[in-house]
Amino acid sequence: MIWLLLTVPVTLAVGVWLAATFDRLAPALWGARAGGPVAALRDGALLLRRQTVRTEAPDDLNRRLAPVVYLALAAIGLSVVPVTHAAPIESPVGIVIWGSCEALTIIAVFLHGWSPNAPFPLIGAYRYAAIALPVMLPSMFVLIAAALPAESLSVTAIVESQREVWNVVRQPLGLALFLLVGLTLTQRGPFDFADGADIAGGTSAEDSGAGRALWQLARLAMLTAFSAMAAALFLGGPLGPGLPGPVWLWLKTAAIMALTVLLGHGIARTTPGRMLTLLWIVALPVSFLHLAVSGGLALW
Amino acid sequence: MSLLDRLAGRAPVPVFACIGPGMQAVTEHALLSPRLRRAASPREAAVLLRAGAIPERAAAAFGRVHDQLPHPRAVLRWDGQGDPADVITDAWVDLLNGADSDTDRRSDEPPNPWEGKGDHGQGGEGMMGGVPYGRPMAMTGDDIRDGLQLDAYTATVGPFAPMLPPGLTLEITLQGDVIISTSVTAPPFPQGDEASAPHLCAARLLRLLGLNAAAARVARGSSPRALWTRGAIPAGLGEAAKGEDVRARLSAWLAGQAGPYQAPRIGSMLPGLEWHEAMLVLNSYAPDALHRACAEEEEAA
Repeated sequence: MIWLLLTVPVTLAVGVWLAATFDRLAPALWGARAGGPVAALRDGALLLRRQTVRTEAPDDLNRRLAPVVYLALAAIGLSVVPVTHAAPIESPVGIVIWGSCEALTIIAVFLHGWSPNAPFPLIGAYRYAAIALPVMLPSMFVLIAAALPAESLSVTAIVESQREVWNVVRQPLGLALFLLVGLTLTQRGPFDFADGADIAGGTSAEDSGAGRALWQLARLAMLTAFSAMAAALFLGGPLGPGLPGPVWLWLKTAAIMALTVLLGHGIARTTPGRMLTLLWIVALPVSFLHLAVSGGLALW
Repeated sequence: MSLLDRLAGRAPVPVFACIGPGMQAVTEHALLSPRLRRAASPREAAVLLRAGAIPERAAAAFGRVHDQLPHPRAVLRWDGQGDPADVITDAWVDLLNGADSDTDRRSDEPPNPWEGKGDHGQGGEGMMGGVPYGRPMAMTGDDIRDGLQLDAYTATVGPFAPMLPPGLTLEITLQGDVIISTSVTAPPFPQGDEASAPHLCAARLLRLLGLNAAAARVARGSSPRALWTRGAIPAGLGEAAKGEDVRARLSAWLAGQAGPYQAPRIGSMLPGLEWHEAMLVLNSYAPDALHRACAEEEEAA
C-alpha cells in the first residue's frame, strides 16, 4: 500500500523532467533547434537563482495558492490511475475524482492570472476560463464513454475491461478528443489561451524566479497526470505482456506525453472567439455522437 | 561555484529587447541564437538588451521596463555590430558570480499623487473609474457590439510592448479584451526595409499564433513546418479589400512577396476587434507600412 502511494511523487518527479525534456526536443521535429536532457534542469536552475517579484497590490493568498492547487490536482488525478492491479487511491468512482481535478484546474489557472493585479494576466485568465469551460463538456462525455464497456466508474475496472482490446481501438475518437482536453489542462499550443504571445505571456507575464519555476513545474506535473490517465483509459494502463505493470504504464504515459507535447508545438492557436465557436458547434456535438456510438457498441 | 550556479550559467539567457530605430531586423536575428531566449515579458528576462539609440520620448518607458526585470539583472547596450550572445552570456555568468545587479532607474512611487476626488478618492464614481495614483481603473460604459454595460478600461501600451512594433504607443480602451477605441500616442520607430522583409514579418505573425518553432525557422529563411497555420486565422479578419485579409497577407509573406505599402489608420483598424484579433491585424502590416500610416494620420491632424 505504502509503495503504491510512493509511486505518485516518483512518477510526478520523473514525469516533470521527461515532459520538460520533450518540450525542448519537440521543436527539432518542427524544424527548429532542440535542447538536450540537461537543458530543462539548466532552465530551472536559472529561475531558482532569480528574484520572485511581488507586483503592486497583488492577491497574495491566491498568488501562493494557485500553483499549489494546480500541483495538488495533478497529484490527486495521478493517484487514481492504477499502477498494477490497484491504484494508489483505489476508488469506485475514480474517473469522477479525475473529472473534478480537470474542472478545478480552471480555477487554479484563473487565480494565477487574477492574483498579480495586472491587465495582461487578467485577460489571459478570463480567456482561459472561457475556453476551458466548454472543453470540460466533451471531456465528461469522453470519460463516460470510456467507462461504458467496463460498466464501472473505477479506473481500475476500466483498465480491466481492456484486457482483450484497448479502448483506443474501440473508441479512437475518444483519445483524439481527450488529447484536446490534455492540451487545455496543461495550457499548451492550440489551447494555450492563458499565456499567449499577444498578451506578453498572459497569466505568466508577471511571474519570475522561484514562483515562475513552481508554476511551470505544476503545468508539467499536470501533463504527467493527464498522460497517465489517458494511458489508463485508452491504452490499457499497466496491462501488457512480459514487463511488470508499472513499466508498461510508464512507457504508455511517456508515449501519450510525447504526442501531446508534439501537437502542442506544431499546431497554430486560433483566436479565442473562433475557438469558442469551434468548441460549441463542432467539438460538443462530435463528443456527444461519440458517446452515443460508444454506448451503442457497449450495449450491443 | 555551486551546482545550481553552474547549471544556471549554462542555460540560454532570457533576454528582453528594447529596440530603437533601425534595429528591429538585426535584433530579431540576434535573438535566434541558441544561447539566448526571447523573454515574453520583462519579468522573465535576466538581461535587458538596449538595441540602438532609444529616442528621448521613450526614455521614461525604457526606465519602467528596466525596473520590471527581477534581480539579479544586467543592461547591455548593443549597436547592431557582431553577435551580442557572447556579451550577454558573460554578463549573466558575472551576475551569478556576484557582480552587482543593475539598480532601479526610476523612483518606486506612483506616477500621480492621490487624486482626492470621488467617493474613494480615486477621481471616478463609487468604487470605479478614475486614475488613483495614476493607475487607470475600469468604469462602466456601453459595449459597442451588444449594448451591454461592461467595465471599460483605458491603458497605454508601448513603446516596448513585445506584441507591437517598437516605438508604437497606443492608448487603448478595452472592455474585457474587446478594443473599444485606440489612439496613437507615438508612431513606430522607422526601421528601414530590412525589418519589413517578408520572412521577418511572417515570423512575427507565426509567433502570435503560438508557433515559436515555425517562427524561428521562417526567420532563418526556411519554410514553416506547422499544422493549420493559415486556417487558424479567421477568414475575412482585417479585410482591407475583397480577399485581402490577414490570411492572404500571411500567405503572400510566406511566398516571399512584400505586403501592402501602407497600412490603414490604426485608430480605425482596431476598434471592435478582440485583443488577439487586433494584434494579428496590426502585425499583418510591415513595421514600415504602419509607420507610414501613423505619419499620414499625424499630418492630417
